[in-house]
Amino acid sequence: MKLSNEYAWIIPLCPLIASCCTGSLSFFFPRVARGFHRLCALLNVFSLAISMFVSLAIFQEQFVKNPIQQYLWIWIPRSTFCVEIGFLVDSLTLVMSLLVTTVGVLVMIYSDSYMCYDRGYTRFYAYLSLFTASMLGLVLSPNLIQLYVFWELVGMCSYLLVGFWFARSSAANACQKAFVTNRIGDFGLLLGILGIYWTTGSFEISELCDRFAKLKEIGFSNPILTNIIAFLLLAGPVAKSAQFPLHVWLPDAMEGPTPISALIHAATMVAAGIFFIARIYGLISTLPLVMQASSWLGGATALLGATLALAQRDLKKGLAYSTMSQLGYMVLALGIGAYQSALFHLVTHAYSKALLFLGAGSVIHSIEKVVGYSPNRSQNMFFMGGLRKYMPITGTTFLLGTLSLSGIPPLACFWSKDEIIHESWLSSLPLGILASGTAGLTAFYMFRIYLLTFEGDFCTIKTDWVDFNHFAPLSISMWGETEGNLSLNQINQNVASVRLGITKNKGFSSSYLANPNGITNVHYDQSLPKPKESSSAMTFSLVMLAIPTTLVGLLGINLIGETANFELSPEWLINPVHFFELSKSFNIYIKILLNSRSSLILSFFGIFFSFIIYKKSYKYFYITKKLVGFTKLVSKFGLLVQSWSLNRGYIDYYYDICFVRNLRSLSKSLSDFDRYGIDGFVNVIGALNFFGGEFIRYGENGRISYYLFIIIFGAILSSVLIFIFLPFP
Amino acid sequence: MISNVPWLTVIVSLPIFAGLMIPILPRNGNRVTRWYTLGICILEFLLITYIFYCHFRIDYQSIQLLETFNWINNIHLHWSLGIDGLSLGLVILTGFATTLATLSAWPITRNTRLFYFLMLIMYGGQIGLFVSRDILLFFFMWEIELIPVYLLLCLWGGKRRLYSATKFVLYTAGGSIFLLVAALTMSFYGSEVPSFNIQDLIHKSYPLSLEVLIYVGFLVAYAVKLPIFPFHTWLPDTHGEAHYSTCMLLAGVLLKMGGYGLIRINLELLTHAHFLLGSWMMLFGAIQIIYASLISMSQRNFKRRIAYSSISHMGFVTIGIGSFTETGINGAILQMISHGLIGAALFFLAGTCYDRTRTYLLDQLGGAAISMPKLFTMFSTLSLASLALPGMSGFVSELLVFLGVVTSNQYSFAFKAGITVLEGIGTVLTPIYLLSMLRQLFYGYRFFDKSNPYSIDLGPRELFILICFLLPILGIGLYPNLILSIGSTEIPSLPLT
Repeated sequence: MKLSNEYAWIIPLCPLIASCCTGSLSFFFPRVARGFHRLCALLNVFSLAISMFVSLAIFQEQFVKNPIQQYLWIWIPRSTFCVEIGFLVDSLTLVMSLLVTTVGVLVMIYSDSYMCYDRGYTRFYAYLSLFTASMLGLVLSPNLIQLYVFWELVGMCSYLLVGFWFARSSAANACQKAFVTNRIGDFGLLLGILGIYWTTGSFEISELCDRFAKLKEIGFSNPILTNIIAFLLLAGPVAKSAQFPLHVWLPDAMEGPTPISALIHAATMVAAGIFFIARIYGLISTLPLVMQASSWLGGATALLGATLALAQRDLKKGLAYSTMSQLGYMVLALGIGAYQSALFHLVTHAYSKALLFLGAGSVIHSIEKVVGYSPNRSQNMFFMGGLRKYMPITGTTFLLGTLSLSGIPPLACFWSKDEIIHESWLSSLPLGILASGTAGLTAFYMFRIYLLTFEGDFCTIKTDWVDFNHFAPLSISMWGETEGNLSLNQINQNVASVRLGITKNKGFSSSYLANPNGITNVHYDQSLPKPKESSSAMTFSLVMLAIPTTLVGLLGINLIGETANFELSPEWLINPVHFFELSKSFNIYIKILLNSRSSLILSFFGIFFSFIIYKKSYKYFYITKKLVGFTKLVSKFGLLVQSWSLNRGYIDYYYDICFVRNLRSLSKSLSDFDRYGIDGFVNVIGALNFFGGEFIRYGENGRISYYLFIIIFGAILSSVLIFIFLPFP
Repeated sequence: MISNVPWLTVIVSLPIFAGLMIPILPRNGNRVTRWYTLGICILEFLLITYIFYCHFRIDYQSIQLLETFNWINNIHLHWSLGIDGLSLGLVILTGFATTLATLSAWPITRNTRLFYFLMLIMYGGQIGLFVSRDILLFFFMWEIELIPVYLLLCLWGGKRRLYSATKFVLYTAGGSIFLLVAALTMSFYGSEVPSFNIQDLIHKSYPLSLEVLIYVGFLVAYAVKLPIFPFHTWLPDTHGEAHYSTCMLLAGVLLKMGGYGLIRINLELLTHAHFLLGSWMMLFGAIQIIYASLISMSQRNFKRRIAYSSISHMGFVTIGIGSFTETGINGAILQMISHGLIGAALFFLAGTCYDRTRTYLLDQLGGAAISMPKLFTMFSTLSLASLALPGMSGFVSELLVFLGVVTSNQYSFAFKAGITVLEGIGTVLTPIYLLSMLRQLFYGYRFFDKSNPYSIDLGPRELFILICFLLPILGIGLYPNLILSIGSTEIPSLPLT
């Protein structure tokens, strides 16, 4: 299949058409759409597959490294400026579009099974296609205005999809939070774009980078101003890629359906920020201050995300913080100038994290029939455990993803992360320590998640962390029509048996670290339904994603070391010949492995600690019971970490006190001012008129003597006044 | 191409005369009146589009279809009409919004004959305002609006309708006095025979202090209508109480009269004063955006919340006009049209919600999305349009205003940066109140009594109206040239400091 680059517009158009068709069908004819829901899904998958093949074909074509830019139509024609819509095809674009389409197709296939009993099945596909269309549009954008347009559109799709289950009030809050937080970033981005336009007079990315560099060379531009503009531009990626001050929306966004978390909040949309920085890299790289700031920002985010992930109870939130941490790595890498490593990590992380999220979705999907549909229960890792026995494919692929993210050699993330750590050691000592330490933490929390979920015993029964009050059985009908009703009785039974279980061993998780002996009598009720392996559509996607998770790193690594040029080399994904050549040059790998032994050791340390704490926790504590002081220290430290992590680093509380409440009270006081100040003034004038009129009406009573009295009184008064104020000489 | 038919007179007087015919119609039932009015509205709208399609040349930037008749000779009042690109867009908007408002008033059963009569009078008066080329006629049309709106508010409003109707009349009439005085000053200054024709007034020049005074006089009138910051308090009351079809007219058309006047008279005739006061207008516009958004956040009544959002959005119009660039002014015009569509549609949605729930208080609402998915979808879409989502018309106009401010040569860098930042903060605040309104209305879950008021989703009529609003919103958002090509106005040559 040969396609020339001019056909790149097909890539975003296909999912857009599918989305419009599906969306309008489900809006106007919901019954018909429900009847043909599988057909709608097929249409969406098919259209995205077309764009995947188109981007693959263009990718093959694009061996030459000259980017192609073309305009389709003039959007806002004016005499002073002109905004056009078009596309730009270069290697960065192609890598991203290939990433989006492949993950997108797999997520769509997966969702068919995940969402099968949902009433909003077709709506979900419409949103999903709309998202992929706008994401592809974002990736193909040649100018900043178009980029901003699609940037906002992916934000909107994220809003719609996070709030997909609108009956949940937590989802409602989460989607609003996500949109508003992103809007704060977009505020900076918009101002930055305007500032760039003001300084360079262009929206064209390549053109403005050149002009900017030229202006800087001449010394024409004010250095403070240019730095401010660059920082404003960075605000967009900070919000979208969940970097430190604006990361708060990402864990909440896990309220959305899990396929969405995999596609949007792990693989593609959150990576858009990284993509954007890479796009304007020519501009940013000329400003050392901005580069340094972004490297520190990335490092801080990586560490913060890792520490926050340490003790999460919620499976998806743990993964979300991990995503945040990994995105921090990418920003760090971009900040220290490791452009290629950042993008390499983007790709490897996207596949690994998509795999992990889809695995988590598979777990949730099968366990929610056992423990209940509330996200507090079905995503709680303390209700899981030992699931690998029941769902072997999910367990194995999840383990692959975990190993990859922890940085274990043959898997994808190892190569890219190691590259970043290596570069950051070269760049500066503190950054190197930061990056390596975070790698250790990553290995720890990833294995914690894996072990709690898949190893040990299935432990629904042994915990008392059940909120019966918040469990609303009626809300199930929203996302499970037939099966939901069927399993309702089962869940109630389970709840009852869980209640019974509690009476036997009270206070497990509250005294989890302090008194580990309580869990030795594991109670398992044989009559409970067991979690089952998910359907073939879901496992297919998992297996398909496991392939790039293992192999992408091997393909990519050799080019990173050799070519240090500015462009990302596109060969490493498409050329199978390369792969065989690579296997010959085995010594490269050995060299890299030897170089990375320090970070490897750290990762193994993390895994080891994770093992001894979570694999057989009670044994560990039994042994250390002899070392009482140490236990106390550990438990204190553990509680500290736990409260830090479960309270999200207290950042949300701080924001709530600092911004939300202040904004509310400001709004309230302004509203009162408007009502009693401005409007009160108006009303008082109105009332005065009224009373004045009444007064005059009563004054007019028709008695001449009264009028005469008034006249004389007035005359005397005025003459007295004149006498006082105008003293005659 | 000059035809002998005075087309503009026809489109101004057709609805008025048709309205006068209503008493002749048979009295039994509403149906006849309803269909008659709707027919007239559609006929009028088709006529407008026909005239503009066949007799209007887009490539000419001057006034076209001019027609002048002596009306009242003693006071030199001429019936003088003409259109250019600026009026064209607004006339089409008027036709569109008024027709849909008439259709949206379908559920009204009380006193329909008077209601539809007033609607038709409004129709004619609004178009008359936008096409008048005589400043006294402009004033006349400006005043004609007052009475129908007052009656519509008084008779079909909510609980506090009398208060808000009085407030509306006093505010607007108070503003009109300034308009009249300023108009008379302009025409009497420096000539024996007063001339009210706008074309003649362009060539007049005034001493600067007088020009500023005239400018301020006009500005007060427009500031009430537009509304500009301290003169806005009539709007939430009026919008909160009026029936939603009236709200659609108010938000869709009446607010735009202020912006139109500002461009037509203040910008084109009083350029020097505009140059002096433009920075103040931008400042007030920027303050207004933030101020109204903040107030909107704490409103419990969602119709009032939309009303405050309307005030906030009109701030962009003020900024665009004050920016003194072609881009900014085009952005302001586009924002007027776009807000006319979006605001009217949002008020209609608020009304349809009220029809089902019988309450405007957000605390008592929630969980409506489950039983009314279509309403939910449309409300979400239009809220997103209102918060300037790309792909919808609001984004284009706000972007143009932003660019207008940035590219303006008249102001210092610090001032431009300040205004841009304030506008930007406005764009951050807008989603907060709009999305939280959506959240409180639709998200969440509710247990209902057996009489479920939420059970009825949008009917075909309501859906039709909303889609009619949505199509141009999307159309302008995807291809802004639709409006920008006709809405381009000539900016008067700037005075060199």
